[in-house]
Amino acid sequence: MKPYLYLSLLPEALVASHLDPQKFGSYLATGSRKRARGQAIFFRLSDDYATKRLSELAVDPDLDRGDTMNPRHSAYLSIYRVLETTPLEAMEALYLVTDAGRVLEMQPAEYFAETGPRFHLYQEFAPVTPRVVSTEDPLSFGHSITAEDQRVSLPTLVFAELELARLADDPEAEDIENLPYPNLPHLRDCLRELRTKTGKPTKTVIRFLQQDVLFRTLHRGFYVAKRGGGFRFFPFPDRKALETEHYPWWRSALSTFGA
Amino acid sequence: MNSSLFWIVPVASVCALVFAAYFYRQMKAAPEGTERMITIAGHVRAGAMAYLKQQYKIVGMFFAGLTLVFAWLAYGLGLQNAWVPFAFLTGGLFSGLAGFFGMKTATYASARVAHAASHSLDAGLRLAFRSGAVMGLVVVGLALLDISVWFLVLTHFVADDDPTHKLLVITTTMLTFGMGASLQALFARVGGGIFTKAADVGADLVGKVEAGIPEDDPRNPATIADNVGDNVGDVAGMGADLYESYVGSILATAALGAAAFAATGDSDAAYKSVIAPMLVAAVGTVLSIVGIFSVRVKKGASQRDLLNALSRGVNISSVLIFVASFLILRFLGLPNYTGIWGAIAVGLVTGIIIGKATEYYTSQEFKPTQSIGEHAKTGPATVIISGLGVGMISTVIPVVAIVVGTTAAYGLAAGSWSFAPESIPMGLYGIGIAAVGMLSTLGLTLATDAYGPIADNAGGNAEMAGLGPEVRRRTDALDSLGNTTAATGKGFAIGSAALTALALLASYVEELKIAMLRNDHDSLVLRSGETIATAHATITQFMDYFQVNLMNPKVILGVFIGSMMAFLFCGLTINAVGRAAGRMVEEVRRQFKEKPGIIGGTEDPDYARCVAISTAGAQHEMIRPSVIAVLVPIAVGLIYGVPGTFGLLGGGLSTGFVLAVFMANSGGAWDNAKKYIEEGHHGGKGSAAHKAAVIGDTVGDPFKDTAGPSLNILIKLMTMVSIVTAGVNVAYTLF
Repeated sequence: MKPYLYLSLLPEALVASHLDPQKFGSYLATGSRKRARGQAIFFRLSDDYATKRLSELAVDPDLDRGDTMNPRHSAYLSIYRVLETTPLEAMEALYLVTDAGRVLEMQPAEYFAETGPRFHLYQEFAPVTPRVVSTEDPLSFGHSITAEDQRVSLPTLVFAELELARLADDPEAEDIENLPYPNLPHLRDCLRELRTKTGKPTKTVIRFLQQDVLFRTLHRGFYVAKRGGGFRFFPFPDRKALETEHYPWWRSALSTFGA
Repeated sequence: MNSSLFWIVPVASVCALVFAAYFYRQMKAAPEGTERMITIAGHVRAGAMAYLKQQYKIVGMFFAGLTLVFAWLAYGLGLQNAWVPFAFLTGGLFSGLAGFFGMKTATYASARVAHAASHSLDAGLRLAFRSGAVMGLVVVGLALLDISVWFLVLTHFVADDDPTHKLLVITTTMLTFGMGASLQALFARVGGGIFTKAADVGADLVGKVEAGIPEDDPRNPATIADNVGDNVGDVAGMGADLYESYVGSILATAALGAAAFAATGDSDAAYKSVIAPMLVAAVGTVLSIVGIFSVRVKKGASQRDLLNALSRGVNISSVLIFVASFLILRFLGLPNYTGIWGAIAVGLVTGIIIGKATEYYTSQEFKPTQSIGEHAKTGPATVIISGLGVGMISTVIPVVAIVVGTTAAYGLAAGSWSFAPESIPMGLYGIGIAAVGMLSTLGLTLATDAYGPIADNAGGNAEMAGLGPEVRRRTDALDSLGNTTAATGKGFAIGSAALTALALLASYVEELKIAMLRNDHDSLVLRSGETIATAHATITQFMDYFQVNLMNPKVILGVFIGSMMAFLFCGLTINAVGRAAGRMVEEVRRQFKEKPGIIGGTEDPDYARCVAISTAGAQHEMIRPSVIAVLVPIAVGLIYGVPGTFGLLGGGLSTGFVLAVFMANSGGAWDNAKKYIEEGHHGGKGSAAHKAAVIGDTVGDPFKDTAGPSLNILIKLMTMVSIVTAGVNVAYTLF
């Protein structure tokens, strides 16, 4: 049986599995006996890349042990520097899995710049997981964080933009009651710093991800930036599509706790 | 001793039952929706009926046992009226029937309401409300039928030369059928409360938390039991509770009316005072039907329009009964009829005040609940603390309303504010008729209560059947309105229970009088040495004879026991929820383990098994509190006699009422504080504040849906038991 090849982001790992994305996502989030729980985000990699990679790794993941479709037959192949070695074009689809095991598929689309807010809130997912505020739009942010000339940079980064509501234009804005982030005063301070310090486009709000990210806070979608100018955009469905086409997932996403 | 006016009562009863049948047929004629909707509704219906069947089996055994005891007391020892065993049985039977019809209607209605909501919001509202009206009208219709039949039967069979004494015998005998209604209500409320929360917690804990399946997901084996629970607790439970209050208030007032004029020997006034509460209730029933028809909304109605439509129905029938009761009393020509009318008005206003206070303290539109939401930002501990605080403070307005209302009803009916001994009989009659006034439009108020679980189940059905987002939004709007009416309904149920229990407490004295006369205690020797005829003794003289005053340790000891009973009952029912939920959790885990296909949707869960587990748990767990509630008043009566019993009832009533308000309101406030956050405050859904508020809501669930409502029954049941066993109290006392 031909295995699927997945690039999981939480934690970063390359996994071969005979489970299709829906089943794999559910397995990743809740385990085979529904005892474990945890949000999951992963890419499905192209068949061509899967064949090539499995052969390079010289790994036989032993995925054909009978026809029981036992989800345990998934095999971790690599857990280090996976993202940076995976080409952008191999990332065929991104999957967001709620902690209840509901899976949403997101297809890549052409990125277009949005004329809009002054400030952005980005959650990085791999290989590092800080949450930062920035004055740069996603494309610029992706380029700058993967630029080789930066003192600290990453070869590849997967990140998403999160909702800032009225804070996106004004750090002093009131009526931001629906933002679920912890320590909002600190977030405001970070935004103020961006406003007052010229030449500082980015400020870290949280050093690493400690809780699940609430999918309802996703703004526009996910981005993959690669050193050398590579950039891929996976748009998040709009509210109407979530409520009509993806309602079970959306309902599950809304009943998750996080930050 | 006859009046053609009395026939209004059975006619109103038939009217209520005919309209209930009409609304039922109207609901049944509505389409039930898709195959999936029909299947889901079928599961809920089967579960609800399985629960009722099991409950009626256990209740049947209890009733059989108690009927034998009452028969032995009546025919063997001669300590009780010979009619008691039969009256007890019919009270229970009619209350049970009301619960059965209400549940049947509610479970048939849910899918139909969801389907109607797919066309428009107003179509959903009308169908849900009229289905709820079936419960309201069946309750008042059967109650009035029971009262009418017994009044006619006893008028025919009780032989007494003194017409006023005959009335006293009839009314005090009829009062005992309240014991049957009370016991049925105990099982419906306590069992229903345990069932609903065991299913809810079980569905949440394993389904949502362990298996990652949302509450209203058909893959969750406990989800049908959860939907059944909404009907069991809020339809059958609430219906039986208010049936008991309704019957209790009418009968206690009738007994107090007969007693008030017994001393004067004015048989005409005594008769009129007996039928007055029945007539007010009967006319109120007809006006409730008018109110039900006035609940309409235009196409494209908003949430606010829905609430206004329900309020309009309640307001119209309240104003009409206010006017109609004046005409009834004027026509009857009762002495001081304007004062008695004032007492009815006081009852109506007290009910409205308690309802509004409940809404203020439990709705997220107001500050108290919002403040609990605010405290959620600092974690679950502060949510619990602030919820307890809000719940405790929320007792002030209902208690003051009852105190002021009772004072006003007493003074207005007595025609004097002196509280002098001679004004006591009419004053107590005023308190009783105030309770009747509060409950006079029960047909309508109960319709708004029963509407809640129907709308809730319609939402569940829409969710499980995967109906579109627009339909779900509409059923959510209907459900949200149902939450508001349910909270107000709980306040109303508690308030009416308190006022009814007060009236029953007063009529306990009349039962003592009849019991003493039956036991040939023809005279009383007062502490002053004066000897008076028992038949003509006033309430003050009875209190003097039995030494019912706070300086008598037996009274104080009774007060302590009564107060303790309220807490004991709460503790037992809350712990029962924990144990029954534990059994449900084990069952759901077992099903997931033994049927792995459930999660993937390839295997069907065994819903019936979960319903059976919850049913068995509820039935098993309710036995202990029920037995205690019945035995303690008898034991206190046997040990400390009448003074101890008065203390017990006073302590139980005062503590039980305050505790019930506290429990219901804190639970409601926690629930809506969570909803307030979910609406987008303090971080909204999924935030840390939301998580804290969910914990508060979980704590509050058994408060508001199990322990709080069960206390309504406790305070009435203990009085009813004392009334029925008054003969034993008089005959045997240890101290």
